[in-house]
Amino acid sequence: MDPPDPPGRVESFDPEANPGQDGPVMTRTHSHATTALLAILLGCTASCGRDEGPQHTDDGALILRAWAHSGQEEERRILEAQIERFNQQNEDLHVDLTLIPEGAYNGQVQAAALAGELPDLLEFDGPFVYNYAWQGQLRPIRDLLQPGTFDNLIPSIVDQGTYAGRFWTVGTFDSGLCLYASRSQLEAINARIPTHPSAAWTVDEFDAILLQLAQAAESGHALDLKLNYRGEWYCYAFSPALYSAGGGLVAEPEHDTAAGVLDGPESIGAMRWFQRWIYEHGLVDRNVDDAAFTEGRVAISWTGHWEYENYLQALGDDLVLIPLPDFGHGTRSGQGSWSWGITAACPQPGAAARFLDFLLEDRQVLEMTGANGAVPATRSAIEQSEPYAEGGGRHLFALQLTEGHVVPRPRTPAYPVITSAFEQAFLAIADGGDVESTLQTAAATISRDIEDNDGYPAPADERHGEDD
Amino acid sequence: MKHRAARLLFFSALTAVAAVYIAPVAFMLVGSFKPDARVLSEAGSWRAFFPAEASLQNYRDVFARVDFTRYLLNSLWITGAITVGGLVVNSLAGYAFARLRWRGRDRLLLLVILLMILPYEAIAVPLFYQVSLLGWRDTYLVQILPFIANAFSIYLFYSFFLGLPRDLEDAARVDGAGALRTFVEIVVPNSKPVFATVTIVTFLFFWGFFLWPQLVTSGDRVRPLPVAIATFQTLPPLRWGDILAFGVMMVAPVVAVFLLFQRWFVRGIAATGSKE
Amino acid sequence: MTEPPPAPRLRILHALPAGPLMALPAVLALLLFVALPFATAVALSFTDLRMGSPLATEFVGAQQYQRAFEDDSFRRALANNLWFAAVVVPLQTLLALGLALALNRSFRGRAAFRTLFFLPVVFPMALIAVVWQLIYAPGPNGILNALLATVSFGAIEPLDVLRHPQLALPALMLLSIWQGVGFQMVVLLAGLQAIPASLYEAAAVDRAGKVSQLFHVTLPQLRNPLVFTMLVTTILSFRVYDQVAIATRGGPLDATTTVMFETVRTVFDRQQVGLASAMSVVFFLMVLAVTLVQRALVRQEREID
Repeated sequence: MDPPDPPGRVESFDPEANPGQDGPVMTRTHSHATTALLAILLGCTASCGRDEGPQHTDDGALILRAWAHSGQEEERRILEAQIERFNQQNEDLHVDLTLIPEGAYNGQVQAAALAGELPDLLEFDGPFVYNYAWQGQLRPIRDLLQPGTFDNLIPSIVDQGTYAGRFWTVGTFDSGLCLYASRSQLEAINARIPTHPSAAWTVDEFDAILLQLAQAAESGHALDLKLNYRGEWYCYAFSPALYSAGGGLVAEPEHDTAAGVLDGPESIGAMRWFQRWIYEHGLVDRNVDDAAFTEGRVAISWTGHWEYENYLQALGDDLVLIPLPDFGHGTRSGQGSWSWGITAACPQPGAAARFLDFLLEDRQVLEMTGANGAVPATRSAIEQSEPYAEGGGRHLFALQLTEGHVVPRPRTPAYPVITSAFEQAFLAIADGGDVESTLQTAAATISRDIEDNDGYPAPADERHGEDD
Repeated sequence: MKHRAARLLFFSALTAVAAVYIAPVAFMLVGSFKPDARVLSEAGSWRAFFPAEASLQNYRDVFARVDFTRYLLNSLWITGAITVGGLVVNSLAGYAFARLRWRGRDRLLLLVILLMILPYEAIAVPLFYQVSLLGWRDTYLVQILPFIANAFSIYLFYSFFLGLPRDLEDAARVDGAGALRTFVEIVVPNSKPVFATVTIVTFLFFWGFFLWPQLVTSGDRVRPLPVAIATFQTLPPLRWGDILAFGVMMVAPVVAVFLLFQRWFVRGIAATGSKE
Repeated sequence: MTEPPPAPRLRILHALPAGPLMALPAVLALLLFVALPFATAVALSFTDLRMGSPLATEFVGAQQYQRAFEDDSFRRALANNLWFAAVVVPLQTLLALGLALALNRSFRGRAAFRTLFFLPVVFPMALIAVVWQLIYAPGPNGILNALLATVSFGAIEPLDVLRHPQLALPALMLLSIWQGVGFQMVVLLAGLQAIPASLYEAAAVDRAGKVSQLFHVTLPQLRNPLVFTMLVTTILSFRVYDQVAIATRGGPLDATTTVMFETVRTVFDRQQVGLASAMSVVFFLMVLAVTLVQRALVRQEREID
């Protein structure tokens, strides 16, 4: 049986459907009396945010403030170098970068947004785009980018950036998950080594392998789930298992409730496996030093493309990339990654878009993906990227994306609550909490948030009046 | 003889307790000089407290990876400003409540005492929302201004000034000095203990201040040390040796000041307890 | 002593009443930065204000309070705070008292011991929370695990203390006591030194033993510093946040979550300003209740005296 289409995919993206709707996005509704009362109480009116207009350097270059996450060291270094290059190439522009810690990124963005203090260019983890676009923090960028830039993007990046029929955000790379493993340790227990997504281990097979590996290991552990990470990691890395089992996070495509989905039998079944591996059998290394796999304490590490170089260095030829286990409906990897948007407050969106065009040049994309091991976001860069070609070390990641073994995170403004609730639930389950009731609580939290926000009504086009 | 045995027993017991007590500090200090891989792998043996292959590499790494100097200066500036500003503003208020007679004084004093019960955590949420709305986030000011006036400091000053003998002030008043001059020239020089107490308590508290700056700082620019070390811990790659070196450098200035002015520290802290 | 005539600037000040003028900056700032925000918290707690939402904010009555108390994590947080205080306050006080009594005796090296026990007080909690994660590291290499294995001759298996549903909160209590005991000790030491020697002499004449002296002279005389330090420690127990945010993120299974941690999570991770405001008000009422109870107890004791 063919695996079903990942839920929630926009079936076709037709850029002609919504021509030219740049310009002001939705404004805040300050009509309600309570809001007015609050404004008085806070000694502040709706206009109290800063509205400074364009700022310039001493040399007269337009300053573009940019926020990015302080991710892997190498990514940071390259982004900084690229910005320096951009600033040199463009005398009239000056990108000013601020790095924000990843753990509290969304909180920082939301707080800064309140006073219109968001920078001109904002990087964020892909799925947050739906919330930010819904709130009116971003502006559509389809027509700001060079036509060639947009047409060059791979479909998953176009999908990720699309919400309510418009294109809001563009990443320079996509992501992927896999099991990194030590070939020799797998061979020692005579395990089958699948390298194609269609041949992924079934979850039962995976379970048996883990038990055998743990028995053979000095540490007693077999698996690294990067439990030392925080925040978005859990939803990104482990919710695909729910989809692989036939469950999910929220009802698709309505996104109106999580009840019956996140706490449905399929999702419960998938989460039971994690509890078994982590809590019941202690097969998972806590990874306090982030070195469980490289130090050889475990034979398998469930993580993302960004560890490729690091692991290759530690294991050399012994390293093998295996698709995530199949929980019943085919293997599913997470996808989507950090992505750039232009804020609604940016006074010169055209100038900001030039920076995005620059970041999506082959040279920059290849430089970044060469360092972080991610899948390039453009067709032309993928063609030039050996590791992703047939026979390349990271071919698996490209295969998963192009052959549909990935699942995008839910395309709804409720995403920040979904990820927060899922993280809390995953950790509770990992610590031995009752799977069913924990997922029920998480589902209720998400459903209530959706209800509280009137189902997150999509920004109707008439709200943009004259622009359309 | 029995006496000496008891003494020895007491001394060994105390030494043992002290050794356990100081172990975490020793571990941090020793670990900060060790190659990263040894920090955790040797933590479970006596080696945790003896540096093998000692070097300053972790310290160099910290400076290469983050702008430690900036965090340090941020912390010094923020904490210093709160402390100095607080000394001026709160001592003036304490004096006005203790010595001057004016309408509304008793009611305001009661208000101050009531506000003493209100911990800043209770106002963190609304204040966070307000400063976000006003666009004050990520500045020094938002980390300083709200904390200068402090009900507990006012109370400490107030009760100290109440206990000062009046004669000196009366003499100054007779000479025609106003309240402010009397305060600056007569009262302040005679109130060193309470100024020391408030300085130490304020400085220590805000040097370790975490919750508020965590909420209101975004990037590196105005980030103080406690938030910086928590962030540093989550900044890949995870290197415990670097983190410990960061920790040592973060606490070293305060420990140095503490050792130099130990008597003042101890007296200052003790003085908070004598007020009831 | 000939004084120069007051400068014109000062003369203007003379014209105004000095009292309100000197109190003004502090009182104004307190009103602006403490009283007003708190009033705002109370007001916001009756709304459904969410940060960033384009939907209008509405008055929702006491719904946020109801939600807070229906939330398992928040209820657990309240319980954890109470449990934290119930354990840490007596334990830390006893420990501090023991240390103060020991270090009040005269022996060589006493000053060094005092310094040593006070030292952690100058350590920021954020730093302690980071470093102690290594001390509590799981596996046989963790310092605590190695120590336990050594003293038990290997009988105690390595624990993952910070992820243990029953041990995680005690682990945070331990590091909090480690940091806090020096402060209490110093206050109590000062209290001990203020006890007049004549009281002990009189007790000695009455042939009171050491233990009897402790209960009939020392402790009654120490009452004020004891009450003060216990009050401070209690309130600090309710304010616990840094350790939780850094070392455990409230886990495992909400075993270490606290009211402040839930409040910050609600406002910062979930943007629910209304709900977080309600939590802040509950937090304040909790602190207020403790303070009032403690005050009442002290007053009662005084009346008995």
